[in-house]
Amino acid sequence: MAKGGSGAVGIGYGLTVAAAGMLATAIYAVFLVAPVEATLGISQKIFYFHVGSAINMLLSFAVCAMAGLAYLTVGGARPHWAGIADAVGVATAEVGVTLGAIVLVTGPLWARKAWGTWWTWEPRLTLSLMVFLLFLAYLALRAFAGSDRFGRGVAAGLSILGIPAVYFIHFAVERWGGAHPQVVYKGGLSQPGMRLAFGLSVAAMFLFAAALAWLRILTERERRQLDALYLEVDRRSE
Amino acid sequence: MKDEIRRYLAIVGKDLRVEFRTREILYTTTLFALLLVVIFAFAFLSDQSKSRIYGPGIVWVTVLFATTVGQNRLFDRERENDCLWSLLLSPAAPSTVFLAKATAQVAFALLMQVPTIVLILVFFDLQITDPLSFVASLALGNVALGLIGTLFAAMLMNARMKEVLLPLVTYPVFVPVVIAGVKVTAVAVGAPVVEDVDTWLRFLAGFDMIFGVVTVALFGRMVRA
Repeated sequence: MAKGGSGAVGIGYGLTVAAAGMLATAIYAVFLVAPVEATLGISQKIFYFHVGSAINMLLSFAVCAMAGLAYLTVGGARPHWAGIADAVGVATAEVGVTLGAIVLVTGPLWARKAWGTWWTWEPRLTLSLMVFLLFLAYLALRAFAGSDRFGRGVAAGLSILGIPAVYFIHFAVERWGGAHPQVVYKGGLSQPGMRLAFGLSVAAMFLFAAALAWLRILTERERRQLDALYLEVDRRSE
Repeated sequence: MKDEIRRYLAIVGKDLRVEFRTREILYTTTLFALLLVVIFAFAFLSDQSKSRIYGPGIVWVTVLFATTVGQNRLFDRERENDCLWSLLLSPAAPSTVFLAKATAQVAFALLMQVPTIVLILVFFDLQITDPLSFVASLALGNVALGLIGTLFAAMLMNARMKEVLLPLVTYPVFVPVVIAGVKVTAVAVGAPVVEDVDTWLRFLAGFDMIFGVVTVALFGRMVRA
């Protein structure tokens, strides 16, 4: 596992630098290129980071589920690949929680300005909250259900189950709103400057998430190596 | 196939027989549910006329909490002497073992809910105007809770903190079931809401089917992982 480690670390540094550069560019575009929205004013700027984080949160959720699926299907036959899938799972889950926290902080901040209330049970907001809670449950399993094969297996199972669960939650909360007024989403980014800032923000948050996930995977690998070395020392001292 | 059905019935029969002799799960969860109803009555019952508004919620919160308590106990007997592994080593397929345990779980949950719901109807002065959809929502909802709860109860059987971990993991997934159940129940007790009962029942049935396939497939993989 130590072989090729420096290349992987190099990719980690590269991703970090790229994420920092892209974030700076996105901030420049958001505040200096994109025009101020006519009705919402300056508060609309938070949209770029809010939606950028939300899209990447759903992406990490999907990657986490795929890693879970890979972990359970290759399973015991290929321990090396199962280990990688497991590391990807925990890394994307932790990144997902970080992005989810950004979504759930920026969402109410914006809602307060745009709709005059901190929280509405708007379908999209509710779905983000539920995805966030599923991620937290996944991490709780990783932390407290045991770090052995069993604990990892049950966490992987939850990440897979999360996909149909999110689909059903989405349907249920959309209809659950019932009599409440539907908040029309500010979809149309009319100005090219806005579209540019939006694209850059999504890309910046993606690189940010990828850099974090990559570094977290490396840490997880180091931790495994350390565990293996401890076992080796134990075995030799007998 | 015939053999699998025989094994399935054998495992379900074993669980029901042990339960009816000891009454561990039924007695404790039923009593817990009845106490919940009493607590809810003290917490909410200030205006009898509004009971149709919050009654459906009370029905489903009680069902959810009491079922979770039962699910935490479901694999207690399998834990002693590594009985679950013996079951999995038997000729029965893992999916058969899983479906048998889930069936037993749903049976215990429904038996516990009958007196509880009667008590809720009496205490909160609710009249069921549409018993058929109400019973259908309870049955479909319990299958959903049973499938997901049994899967994670089995997986967390040996975890030190399984009592808290089980609801942490299952409740986010249960949210759609509770939403659908409350909607159907609200219509069934004549609450002033406009809801399409058939859509919600179909939703629950779809939930059961999808999660039936997913949980059965996952159980076999997760025990072998």
